[in-house]
Amino acid sequence: MAAIDHYLNTVIQHARLEAFDDGSATLEAHHLLLGIAVAGENAELIAAGLGPDQIRAALQGEFEHSLQTVGVSAAAYRLPKPTRVGDPPTSLGASAKLAFDRAFSRARTKKELRPVHLLLGILQAEIGTVPRALALAGFDRPALIARFSGDPA
Amino acid sequence: MTNWKLVNYGCFMPPELTDPADALAAVAALRRLADQLEEAAVEQAMRDGWSWPEVAEALGITRQAVHKKHAKRLIEAGVPLRRR
Repeated sequence: MAAIDHYLNTVIQHARLEAFDDGSATLEAHHLLLGIAVAGENAELIAAGLGPDQIRAALQGEFEHSLQTVGVSAAAYRLPKPTRVGDPPTSLGASAKLAFDRAFSRARTKKELRPVHLLLGILQAEIGTVPRALALAGFDRPALIARFSGDPA
Repeated sequence: MTNWKLVNYGCFMPPELTDPADALAAVAALRRLADQLEEAAVEQAMRDGWSWPEVAEALGITRQAVHKKHAKRLIEAGVPLRRR
């Protein structure tokens, strides 16, 4: 198995756990982003201020903000946390599929695929949970793309 | 009819919802919140001794649907389940 396969497998395994903890039936792009943040090859991400805790805080902020726009408070109800048992999800959701499509389109061949391509595939999305969470948390997504792709901002 | 809708839209929608991105994100967040609430509420109801038909009726869905969605998780979690 090539190094990139090991890397993607590790990211997906972490992402599955994040999705499971989230109660999600599918892996979405934001779960992959968290997977990248807790897997290896993440030093640049952490240097950019995107450690797992910062990403989780940004995602929670987006969730609460989106609910507030329709007058709903995420903290308004208090029920016991549901018990989560069984296997974490394996299916990719639409946003994760798009992230992989964008990642693969950045590399001409699979041999050229690098860990950063998946990160860029996630960051390239202009609509959805990840770009909204990053924007609300004050991250400059185009600058992050430039930084990780090695292009001048 | 159109005017009625416009008047009510203007009355009830907060200013942020003039942006479709916010409205669509709210839909996604509400679905996620509803799923979380359903998981917690069904588990709490079953722990309190509710039956599948009672939970299904309260949710407005069939007994089969609620059973299919929650039974495996609750059984593995060791929640005592009433048959009727």
